[in-house]
Amino acid sequence: MAEVEKGKKCKKCKILKLHAMSYEVKLKNKTIAIELQKRTEDRMTVKVDGRSVELGLVRVKQGSYSIILNNKVHNVVVVPIKGTKKFLVNNFIETQEVEVIDSESRYLSNRCKGTSADGEGTIVAPIPGKVVKVLVSKGQPVLAGQTVVIISAMKMESEFKALKAGVVVDVKVSEGQTVEGRQTLVVIDFNKE
Amino acid sequence: MIKKVLVANRGEIAVRVIRSCKEMGIKTVAVYSDADRTSQHVLHADEAYHIGPSPSLESYLNIDKIIQVAKESGADAVHPGYGFLSENTKFSDRCKLEGIKFVGPSAYSIANMGDKITARKTMIAAGVPVVPGTVDMVHSEEEALKTIEEIGLPVMIKASAGGGGKGMRLIKKAEEVTSGLRAARSEAKAAFNDDSVYIEKYIESPHHIEFQVLADSHGNAIHLFERECSVQRRHQKIIEETPSPILTHEKRMEMGAHAVAAAKAVNYEGAGTIEFIVDNDLNYYFLEMNTRLQVEHPITEMVVGVDLVKEQINIANGLPLTLKQDELTQTGHAIECRIYAEDPDNNFMPAPGQVTHIETPSGLGVRVDGYIYEGFVIPMYYDPLIAKLVVWGSTREESIQRTLRALHEFKVTGVKNNVRFLERIALADDFVKGNYNTHFIEDNFDFLMGGKEQNMQDDDVVSIAAFVEYLDRIGELKPKYEPATALNSWQKLKRARSARNARF
Repeated sequence: MAEVEKGKKCKKCKILKLHAMSYEVKLKNKTIAIELQKRTEDRMTVKVDGRSVELGLVRVKQGSYSIILNNKVHNVVVVPIKGTKKFLVNNFIETQEVEVIDSESRYLSNRCKGTSADGEGTIVAPIPGKVVKVLVSKGQPVLAGQTVVIISAMKMESEFKALKAGVVVDVKVSEGQTVEGRQTLVVIDFNKE
Repeated sequence: MIKKVLVANRGEIAVRVIRSCKEMGIKTVAVYSDADRTSQHVLHADEAYHIGPSPSLESYLNIDKIIQVAKESGADAVHPGYGFLSENTKFSDRCKLEGIKFVGPSAYSIANMGDKITARKTMIAAGVPVVPGTVDMVHSEEEALKTIEEIGLPVMIKASAGGGGKGMRLIKKAEEVTSGLRAARSEAKAAFNDDSVYIEKYIESPHHIEFQVLADSHGNAIHLFERECSVQRRHQKIIEETPSPILTHEKRMEMGAHAVAAAKAVNYEGAGTIEFIVDNDLNYYFLEMNTRLQVEHPITEMVVGVDLVKEQINIANGLPLTLKQDELTQTGHAIECRIYAEDPDNNFMPAPGQVTHIETPSGLGVRVDGYIYEGFVIPMYYDPLIAKLVVWGSTREESIQRTLRALHEFKVTGVKNNVRFLERIALADDFVKGNYNTHFIEDNFDFLMGGKEQNMQDDDVVSIAAFVEYLDRIGELKPKYEPATALNSWQKLKRARSARNARF
């Protein structure tokens, strides 16, 4: 990482802290250190987990990139997920979720460590739909794999289950209610049993 | 002659129908629920009427409301598309009563084909082969056992009013008869309020092949060859093709003649589909008739060179068919892939939501019948079908290659979809060889779910693209161009001046 002396502005980007910031991306449960080294109009060099990767990159339109890496053409669509630093990245093989971890998110996750990590689980609706049944109530113990909420969308009903055994801390939806995608349905404390 | 058509449907089929009406100089009336104000069919139509809340029961299935709109708009015909009210005898009768043409068969034909036992009897009388089994309802266990003795195990117990797999039981052993019969009857009673069941021989590893028919009000009926629909998952068709890779010319013409006989037996009028199940030795049996336009009708249009919606409207106008059976041929090969908003990695869970990005394929031999666009929110209330990719090629091989090429160009981001799953089907050895039946998906499941391996270079590209988007968004590296909404100082000056000089 290129160090910039404290209090001195970097000549290139004229922003104090740019080079001093470190980033990571999370892809498929892997955390990859990533750092921008050089960027021109259509080419860039990026350090990925210590490897220097040189590529051609052009933004064709908002969220749509043409990337040429080792002369191979990649067309990639990147769509941000609202309210997060996560992106849906579609590269023709599949759509994957990528999270960019910056100093802010690292700070937040450090601060919250011990209270939330592993201990609490939220069951989130992955899709918009209508709550058909809520099968648990606050304070109720649940077993791993127990169905907690049933949601109906597009004429199909899907069951949402507890990942691990625990106790229901909060039920955030009621029967008949319409939910958005990514809305929290139920919070479970896995430390209690 | 029909001058204005109310399209009593939504989604891709409503758009499809509107397109043909436009080409015929017919005005179109769209109806929409709360969830569908910005749906493509509303944007394409000449007139649009709100018909109620999002749930289908309160909008697209609301007969009174739709009839009211038809009268208010002065529509002289209603096209029901598929699903919703397309096979509803009450609706078809009501249209007739109100003096509105129903683009489809009479209530008599629909009812005759809708009840499975009646349909079986009618087909037997018309000389169309049906699956060996009972002609009448089965009431007692003794009757059931006697039938099973005659036709041999395995058998299917089916509800007469059935559909969608409800009230159906597969019986492989004699001791399962009692419980199977009871279960099928109680399920049928619960689902259709009718516990009549019948018994059919169970055809193992069947092919599902259907024939398109057209019949006019002058007694003319023709078939437009077959569609092979064996690529199914839980009775849901996924890919269809025509011609079928397993049929011979003789068998095709023989089945076609039986399809025409079936349509004539119920005085059919309009476009319809006769479904057959076919075993590996090409023995075929009548399964059911769909008295409407099918989802997969475009592949027939591609190889025969007709517009089935226009044919439907001409028939509704009382015109005789101009197509002659001996002049029809199948040219080349067509494949349809159904693009569903569903998540193959999560047990095919439906995936409504906002389409954040879409690229649809084009080029030689490619047709896309769809209704979604960038920014559109796919409602959670209706079918997950969002588009149909229909491809034509001069041979089956070319058609498969073109399907793969077009699927590669098809890109939907924001909602989960089955595009990659479809690609795997078109790559599967059994599909490429044309060696498949209705068990294809389960037999090839591991292969179909595979192919998602990404190498390090792919991972690098994905990580870097997300990272660059992040950097540009937080503005640490501002893009070189100005956003379209920003004004430079000259534009600001000009705007300020014109505002000062404005006179109202």
